[in-house]
Amino acid sequence: MGLADSSQDLSTEMEVDAFRRIFPLRFFERHLSESLRPDGRQLGKARDTIVNLGLVSTADGSALAKIGSTTMLAAIRMEVMTPSTDSPDEGCIALEFHMPPICSPTVRPGRPADAAPVISKRLSDTILSSGMIDLKELCLVSGKAAWMGYLDIYCLDADGALFDAALLSAVAAFSNLQIPVVALNDNGRIVAITGGKDQDNASITEKEAVNKEKRKLTLKNIPFSLTCILHKNYILADPTTEEESIMDTLVTVVLDSSDQMVSFYKSGGTALAYSSAIKSCIELARKRAKELKQILGEMDID
Amino acid sequence: MAAKPGAATPTYSPKLVGRTRLPILKDSDLDWSRPDGRGFHQCRPALLQTGAVSSASGSAYAEFGNTKVIVSVFGPRESKKAMVFSDVGRLNCNVSYTTFASPTIGQGTDHKEYSSMLHKALEGVIMMETFPKTTVDVFALVLESGGSDLSVVISCASLALADAGIMMYDLITAVSVSCIGKSLMIDPVTEEEGCEDGSFMMTCMPSRYEITQLTLTGEWTTPNINEAMQLCLDACSKLGEIMRDCLKQAASASEE
Repeated sequence: MGLADSSQDLSTEMEVDAFRRIFPLRFFERHLSESLRPDGRQLGKARDTIVNLGLVSTADGSALAKIGSTTMLAAIRMEVMTPSTDSPDEGCIALEFHMPPICSPTVRPGRPADAAPVISKRLSDTILSSGMIDLKELCLVSGKAAWMGYLDIYCLDADGALFDAALLSAVAAFSNLQIPVVALNDNGRIVAITGGKDQDNASITEKEAVNKEKRKLTLKNIPFSLTCILHKNYILADPTTEEESIMDTLVTVVLDSSDQMVSFYKSGGTALAYSSAIKSCIELARKRAKELKQILGEMDID
Repeated sequence: MAAKPGAATPTYSPKLVGRTRLPILKDSDLDWSRPDGRGFHQCRPALLQTGAVSSASGSAYAEFGNTKVIVSVFGPRESKKAMVFSDVGRLNCNVSYTTFASPTIGQGTDHKEYSSMLHKALEGVIMMETFPKTTVDVFALVLESGGSDLSVVISCASLALADAGIMMYDLITAVSVSCIGKSLMIDPVTEEEGCEDGSFMMTCMPSRYEITQLTLTGEWTTPNINEAMQLCLDACSKLGEIMRDCLKQAASASEE
């Protein structure tokens, strides 16, 4: 079967689409030989990234991150818990990544997606090991009460590079987080102080000062990630779902704001990653981290 | 370093989630002013957009006040399970909530009742004979629940189906009405739904003036039911106009 000749414009319109579906590998390789990708990007370039904060009114902090078409909505809700005896001064973060059936044709209702628990665990590990959050800041009353942050990330549209978008939305949600002002009431329970209500003022005033200073978390060492796919000798940054389906293997590099590596992940696959490939991936990740830092910086996030 | 607690440590929310209960005064007129300052017969402003999800055949995003819903339609595609041959198409619906949809922390599970009600509302309007042997999947995710969730889901689903190009007899729109004491309120918010005496939801095809689904719960007097039906039919046709405008805009935008 002959290759569709792309120099014939309109008459091969339909053929190009069919060729793309039937011979995806050859379609991509013809683009890669010209150092381009089907959507016109350079091999090492990531898609347009947008971050929006504070969209969910029922959550204490939320963010929407879009990388190309991949859309992630992250929301944090704070609840009070009793800290464990080995770490009475620390709070806790419970992270969960969901892929609802709306996001992709491969996800069925009732059966969690294959990728979801994997990404959930990796995100959890990355965020905790990067040291972005100091759990001691989540403490309210030492030994008695501390904050438990439930971070839920929902994938609204899955178009490749899910880990990157999820991490970006999680970081943005933490920066948007406003911890509610609370006080300890007589029963030993923490209650929220609402605007106009003036009950139990006497017992509240002491504790109020303690919590007022710590309304926002300080984020140090913010992690930035970049997923690349290796295909023969090509390295493609920020793949779409279509590109991920033809790849040999996937590499994710997570760097923090001081360019130190937080995590490196290469998932099996048919290709071996030589050290030169790994170095190129890390270089691309460094460039991407600068871009992301600028995007987050524009939204006033330190 | 406490990463994730082994067993689920019980946590509680410091916020007070109170529900004001109105005294049950059936005979006197209740002086109820709606939390968002609307009139009793005024619906919330609707924001509708198609093409929210690129990986779906058709999708729509709807925002009615604080109720935000995304619906994706996949298909017609192969019926996955080993199902009996059918010469009409099949419809599969699922409605799920996010964990942050309601003010109290929930589990975010699938809402089976709403899924089956969405199915019943849609099966009367989709022309199933146009896609034999295959299935059309309609999935809805409620991002934030601010009242009248099911009506918003149904309207958004019909918009998504239109965006996907599935053949239907007409667009369907759904509106709900709440009865508190003697007054009827259209498009209730969560607080109003919490202290209502009766609820009424109607799904209809505006151009054909036909009702595909009608759900009535609680205490209703016959004149109230008639008034509620008139209110809903009126609101449904207005909502139908808004949906058509949205589709026309999307179509003309893609032509450019």
